[in-house]
Amino acid sequence: MSGFKVNRRDFLRVLGWGGASTALVGCDMPTTVTLEEGKEDVVAYFMPEEYVIPGVGVWYASTCTQCAAGCGIHGRVREGRALKLEGNPESVINRGKTCMMGQAGVQAHYNPDRLTQPLMREGGALKPASWEVALKKIAEKTASANGDRVAWLSGAVSGHQAVLINDVLNTFGSKQHFVHETIHASVWQAVARDMLGDAQPVLRMDKAKSILSFGADFLGTWQSPVHFATQYAKFRSGKRGVLIQVEPKMSLTGGSADAWVAVRPGTEGILALGIAQNLVKRGWAKGEVPAKLKEVLAKYELGMVANATGVAGDRIQRITAALKDHAPSLVLAGAPVEGGENGYDAVSAVMLLNILLGNIGQTIEPAAQFAEARMQARSGGTRGALEFSKLAAAKKLDVAFISHANPVYHAPGFMKMKDAMANVGFKVVMTQFPDETAMQADVVLPLYSAIEDWGTHVAAYNGGVATLSFQQPLMEPLYKDTRGFGDVALSLLKQRKPKEYAAFNDYYAYLKASVSNMPAAVAKGDKNKDAAWNALLQKGVLETKATVGKFKVNTATVAAVADVSADVQFPYRLLPSARLGLWDGRHANSPWLQESPDQISKVVWGSWVEMHPVTAAKLGVKSGDYVRVTSAQGSLEAQAYVFNGIHPEAIAVPLGQGHQEYGRYAKGLGVNPYAILNPVIEKKTGEVAAYATRVSVTKLDKSARLVHMGSSDTQMGRKLVSTIPATVYRRTEGEA
Amino acid sequence: MFYKHVCKLVLPPVLMFVSLLLISGAPARAELAVPPGVTPPVGTHAGEDVPQPIEFPHDIHVNINKINCMYCHTYARRSKVAGIPPTSKCMGCHKMIATDKPRIQKLTEYFTKKESPKWKKVHDVPDFVHFSHERHIKKFVFDADLPVENVEQVCGLCHGEIKAMTVAKKNKPLTMGFCRRCHEANGGPGDCWKCHK
Ligand code: SF4
Repeated sequence: MSGFKVNRRDFLRVLGWGGASTALVGCDMPTTVTLEEGKEDVVAYFMPEEYVIPGVGVWYASTCTQCAAGCGIHGRVREGRALKLEGNPESVINRGKTCMMGQAGVQAHYNPDRLTQPLMREGGALKPASWEVALKKIAEKTASANGDRVAWLSGAVSGHQAVLINDVLNTFGSKQHFVHETIHASVWQAVARDMLGDAQPVLRMDKAKSILSFGADFLGTWQSPVHFATQYAKFRSGKRGVLIQVEPKMSLTGGSADAWVAVRPGTEGILALGIAQNLVKRGWAKGEVPAKLKEVLAKYELGMVANATGVAGDRIQRITAALKDHAPSLVLAGAPVEGGENGYDAVSAVMLLNILLGNIGQTIEPAAQFAEARMQARSGGTRGALEFSKLAAAKKLDVAFISHANPVYHAPGFMKMKDAMANVGFKVVMTQFPDETAMQADVVLPLYSAIEDWGTHVAAYNGGVATLSFQQPLMEPLYKDTRGFGDVALSLLKQRKPKEYAAFNDYYAYLKASVSNMPAAVAKGDKNKDAAWNALLQKGVLETKATVGKFKVNTATVAAVADVSADVQFPYRLLPSARLGLWDGRHANSPWLQESPDQISKVVWGSWVEMHPVTAAKLGVKSGDYVRVTSAQGSLEAQAYVFNGIHPEAIAVPLGQGHQEYGRYAKGLGVNPYAILNPVIEKKTGEVAAYATRVSVTKLDKSARLVHMGSSDTQMGRKLVSTIPATVYRRTEGEA
Repeated sequence: MFYKHVCKLVLPPVLMFVSLLLISGAPARAELAVPPGVTPPVGTHAGEDVPQPIEFPHDIHVNINKINCMYCHTYARRSKVAGIPPTSKCMGCHKMIATDKPRIQKLTEYFTKKESPKWKKVHDVPDFVHFSHERHIKKFVFDADLPVENVEQVCGLCHGEIKAMTVAKKNKPLTMGFCRRCHEANGGPGDCWKCHK
């Protein structure tokens, strides 16, 4: 071998020829996967409809239910199979676009671990049962239940499904509908309600010239990612808007920012007040600044703020100037701010910036809410599960219905949801998958996939246009013993009020009747209701009447933001970061989404612990080393990922893994940071302060290669992406 | 022009019935011609015998009765797949024709049960290959102004001489090399994404 010298050029030449011949040989090698002759069946239509052409797809409009944003979709159906989902251009939410989770909707449908028949608990174990037997059991067990001893816990829900849940609870005289969502914006909504008089104001990024986002990952996980991505595209086109992202760990949005500012975790509100103070001091604040507010702001001098937040004083001044120079602006707050123990105050400080900058009425407009309150979105948060778990633990629930939610997995460990649920007399879980919650049920009712079911959806965040988005089956159900959610809810109603619901054979009939009877639903003077209904389904969305609010600006709720305390035993703050993809863990059973690398760290599958190089050096840890992250509630172990996009005081463990059930792709993979959250509750909203847990980190005596895309984080001296010095950037991009 | 081609496809069942009565004995085997101006793809494949639920005789249909390929595989010119004829289409003729033959009786059984036979796939390409019959028929038949009754020459480029077989047997490799050689020789597209999308 030593006598055989190859220079690089020769090597490439050899590779080139070798490559070509290999390719040609490869071209004639039949693969063994699908090319076997006579192995696959091909069944012709018996008697096809005139318009059916095998191989040619037909597109149907429906609604994505992969997250609660409510994007409209088009599904391509070929030979009776749904094959591909795309955005519906008619939808004002997503204007023809989808995100990767939306695309993966087909995997939720074809997932091999779906439940295919009802299960009933017998002698401690769940055993297959028929629908008749399961529904009979429910009728028996719920016959004497009443009042608030009956509860329904669901994921975010809207439209006619929300109406049905409400109606079922009404038959018991119960008002206990809890809505649980791990990824939520309820603190933002509470603050908007209190300071603007409108909980869901419309955010016009397209009108903004600059955005200052405190951890709002609006391109990834905040409220309506696809909607904001389309808005963001407008914001960046024309005269390019300036995006400044302040957060303790780089999010997908942070990765796109012109300036990314690492802030000491938990002090974002202090920084916001510092900027507010700077605006007032430099005389840039719009409108009258109330004396009480001036008093609150007084102590947030640059020096103090820089000290608390770790963001230098001159930088704070530059951010302030950028907002003034690039008006109108838009200031947002996301999960790391909302999830602090001071979440409400911190978000109030952020909202105050919008008021001082004169954004209200400019880039922030009043919401146009769907006119019918019963159908409006219940977007939920973590408070619902907390209240539910307390009631359950105190044995105050005889019957619990759970739909489209997996609280046993999603609720933080301190809620002890599994134990709490053991104290509920009778639990009915409606789900598509054998998830952690289903395993605790007395009766499990297997649901249709979103692609098989009917529904209507009203988005919590609608971008200013109220619409009702239709969900219609794209194909026949794969499993004959599964049922639609609406059908199940109707069965429950029929058990209790047979006469009232006798007219509706199924949920389809109910939906069609309800929609046709909505005054705005069918165009005036339209005699042929069937034609109108079909046209609606074809379009997929119905623009409806909206109640447009009026802002009542109020800064009286703005208060000092408490600093986060240091802790010697637990020196770091835990960031249970979410990402577009696995979301809150509901998509951990989708191989496509498991395989899609985390947008920042590029890690695939599994869990990992993100830390700053300074932190890693202190701990003697390098990427791939196993570490133990310990809070007062417990600990978890995973491999470290060392990178610069995180504050040295923060430790991030992504959400989404650590399932103990949930099918072959999710079960037993990685760890769930929610298992070790401290029981910290944001006092003014009652939400779990998910970003307020302090942890310590220890290095373990084990290391392995971390599986992630790309081998290097640097360009290794090659000018693959050209860069300019910060000083030049500041001159050209106006960061003052 | 397209309409003209379509009209030629429709062979009235009665005519087929008559031709069946006229012809007896084994058909003479004619070599399959190559469409004019086309360089056929090079490559052969020794296909397996694939047992089918009904031993469908291509030879009787094509060689003896001269039924056009696209009469039964009617989607070939409209879709990526050529399509297996619907059972109802078979019965369109076989309600009357050859009703005493065991194979037809078996077919009638399926039809009465409102079922289609589970045929076994003989020709296939992997899922990551987007092959369209429609594009190929357009190029080699309609755009080339090939008389539509000669379509079997085009089908034969990839399927071989089906009219000499009873049930179909794969006799071309249908590999990427096979496809590429033909694309190169006949000016087909060379971009990866044309087939892999
Ligand atoms: S943002 Fe949510 S609703 Fe929209 S496409 Fe993605 S998963 Fe579906």
